[in-house]
Amino acid sequence: MADLAASDRISGYADALLAVARAEGSQAEVEDELARFADALRSSDELQSTLADPAIDVERRLRITEDLLGGRALPATAALVSLVVGAGRGGELVDIVDATIDRAAAGRNRRVARVRSAVEITADQRARLAEAIKASSGLDVEIQAIVDPSVVGGVVTEIGDDVIDGSVRSRLQQMRAGLS
Amino acid sequence: MEPTMAPFGAGPGVRPGVRSGVISGVRPGGRPRPRAVLRLCAALGLLAAVAVAGAAPAWAAGETIGGCVLETVADAKKEHGSLDAVKALPADELSALETDLEGCLESPNPILPALDEIIWGGLAFVILFAFMWWKGFPAVKRAMDARSEKIRADLDAADTAKADAMRTKSEYEAQLADAKTAASAIIDEARAQADQLRQDLQARAEADIAEQRARAAADIESSRRQAVDDLRTEVAAIAVGAAERVVGASLDADVHRSLIDGYIDEVAGAGSNGNGG
Repeated sequence: MADLAASDRISGYADALLAVARAEGSQAEVEDELARFADALRSSDELQSTLADPAIDVERRLRITEDLLGGRALPATAALVSLVVGAGRGGELVDIVDATIDRAAAGRNRRVARVRSAVEITADQRARLAEAIKASSGLDVEIQAIVDPSVVGGVVTEIGDDVIDGSVRSRLQQMRAGLS
Repeated sequence: MEPTMAPFGAGPGVRPGVRSGVISGVRPGGRPRPRAVLRLCAALGLLAAVAVAGAAPAWAAGETIGGCVLETVADAKKEHGSLDAVKALPADELSALETDLEGCLESPNPILPALDEIIWGGLAFVILFAFMWWKGFPAVKRAMDARSEKIRADLDAADTAKADAMRTKSEYEAQLADAKTAASAIIDEARAQADQLRQDLQARAEADIAEQRARAAADIESSRRQAVDDLRTEVAAIAVGAAERVVGASLDADVHRSLIDGYIDEVAGAGSNGNGG
């Protein structure tokens, strides 16, 4: 019941963010900035916990978001992030951003492929990976690149519930399982 | 069986009502009792004393020689008027008076009293004997009978008590024998229970020991396996950690690009293989 309520809440915020981005006329940029901010949150547990901590004053949390995004992102992007943080949903900001991107891609008849790698992949690699996924699964995907040092090397691609794991981390885990 | 001797000349023979073997005044061994003989002697002595007292001699009655002489002289003086007249009596009368005086000088018989005394003494003896025969002897007889009856009752009571004591002794002996038997049975039962308990405890101890031994063996085996697993996991972690460090150190930008390109090629190849297949 709690998960269902959270899912509904995340969907509601995602719809709202997407509507605001469309209304501002800069949906693609807003999506990209939101994805980068979510990527930054994933890589920093401290930042994620700070924005989600109810013991910290809301004004301070909003000031942190403004310090992070002010002058580096569109005002609409900063306003949307401040909206979520100000509403006390900083802990669900990553999920809300992912849901927003998924809905935006779905509006373009595409799926989002979240590609995790230890280093940032190039634009050429993104394009080739999108083509390879289309060739293998027939899906038109939009690549959301996420830098995740825990991958060690290689790539992990998530399309919905499907996972294509070609990371060095998984190879090491397989080797650990074989040894133990 | 000893004959029963009745006191005071009742005659020999067994008296009716007297138990056989029990003699009044006689011990069970046949010899007279000392007290009965003493009583008989005392009665005879009493009778003799009474007879002697009744037949006392004349001198024992208070008559003396002087008195006899004075009485004879007084009688002669009274008869002849004065002593001078007496002195003047003829020779034959003086001779008679001398004879009377000589009679006063003769001492009385110490053995044989005077005839009147014998008569009075004998009469007193007969009266006393008759009185004793009439009153004394029955009383003594009743007392002796009562005593005999009491002794017989005491003997009967003693026999009864002895019989009771013997019966009680027999009962005690029987109870003692039963108690010994019961004690022996209890001891045997206790010994059997102790043996059974010892066997049970031994069996239980052996079972516990076997169980503990099996448990210890299982624990040892489990610990060994756990140790092996832990060691294997630790070795794997060390090996993987070392591999991660080696891989991480060896992954430069070119290697990363090569890995990503290889991944893209694999995904694309999977698609072409799937389409082709």
